[in-house]
Amino acid sequence: MAPPRTYRCEAIILSYTPLGESDLLVTMFTRDQGKVRAVGKGARRSTSKLVGHLEPLTVTKMSMAHGRSMDMISQAEVVLSFSKLKEDLTGITKGLYLAELVDGFGAEDSANPELYQLMTDTLRAIETDPVSDMPLRFFEFHLLQVSGLMPELYHCVECRAELEPDAHRFSPNVGGTLCLDCNPDDAHLRPLSLRALKVLRLLNRSDIAAACNLSLDNSLAAELKSLLSTTVRYWLGKEIRSNSFLDRLNNESQSEVYFNSL
Amino acid sequence: MARLVQELNRLPGIGPKSAQRLAYYIIRLPDEEAFALADAVTAVKQNIVFCEECQNLTDASPCQVCSDPRRDRTIICVVEDPLDVLAMERTRSFRGLYHVLHGVISPMNGVGPDQIKLKELFSRLTRADISEMVVATNPTLEGEATAMYIRRHQGRDDLKVTHLARGLPVGGSLEYTDETTLTRAFQGRQEL
Repeated sequence: MAPPRTYRCEAIILSYTPLGESDLLVTMFTRDQGKVRAVGKGARRSTSKLVGHLEPLTVTKMSMAHGRSMDMISQAEVVLSFSKLKEDLTGITKGLYLAELVDGFGAEDSANPELYQLMTDTLRAIETDPVSDMPLRFFEFHLLQVSGLMPELYHCVECRAELEPDAHRFSPNVGGTLCLDCNPDDAHLRPLSLRALKVLRLLNRSDIAAACNLSLDNSLAAELKSLLSTTVRYWLGKEIRSNSFLDRLNNESQSEVYFNSL
Repeated sequence: MARLVQELNRLPGIGPKSAQRLAYYIIRLPDEEAFALADAVTAVKQNIVFCEECQNLTDASPCQVCSDPRRDRTIICVVEDPLDVLAMERTRSFRGLYHVLHGVISPMNGVGPDQIKLKELFSRLTRADISEMVVATNPTLEGEATAMYIRRHQGRDDLKVTHLARGLPVGGSLEYTDETTLTRAFQGRQEL
């Protein structure tokens, strides 16, 4: 018997590009099939029944039809719009950063419900507090975990010795933390402070609500940001484009805080 | 022939098959029509410039709108691209000036504020005769992000910053309208 021509799915819309006169090519991350690219026929017309339901960073329920080369979206209805997040420029930019990472790490025809849940949970956390960067750090760490790229945090990846409570080194290339006695020839090797190692271990065993309650000083926050974004970029194999605009917004808000305090 | 197919293939929405079809069509055209097409492409590349005021595409700078003394110079409407100016002009309901951004901030595509005509906009806004700016970017996520960025960085306390109303399109249907649009339509309800 031939497989059914239509199916239903729930997805987070990641991005879209215009296609032809009035169509949209939508990239989405579904709970059951991983990343899917599908066409929204006429979705750019203001009177289309799809318009508004296919905006990025929206959870949408859809009816889809298998096409010859690409699936078609026949119906769509918003389930979660994250409307508060979309009222804040930093919130939007952080959401788009997540979308870019899920687009890069998510595979087509390969379900990853943990990644789907991670993205919705993180969007909710950003919506609650668009200023804190902890939801992004939690997301980056658990993105590695749900993609099978979890860094080693308890033993040296070279000699397998249990790590002493001390400063260590870290490299995504060798898979995590190294003790000070091991010196592999590795261009990605970087120092890892004991405080940062402790935060990474905490991120590993806590949920997003607990992680977002963490308050880090500037130097520790900068070390974690650099370490996690470098590791994510290493595995992605390319620059994360939304990062530069996100950094720009962060620098502007830090300058505002500085000038207001003068 | 291969060169023509290759060049047509670069155009947006034109795949290799369509490029071949267009190339064969051009070959079959009478000479004068084919040369007129080539002349039009050459002329547009040689003569079209950005208007020094509004950054719209024009064959003479300042453009027709910016040099028209009947336009209201106190209000400026910010749009994403030149086609939006044509759409607004068709309404005949706006008599102010425009500013064309030539894009929107699109972090995922690496398009930041420096890649669109924002610097030119902020420099225009320093002129005291402009009292209102209507931000008419599309009501998409990136359009809204660009509008928020403009509002945050426009740098004047005395400037009235507005955006186009959000709501139901003529010929639309409540049943299929998403919750954000419906909420905004409800918030912007008007007396009958």
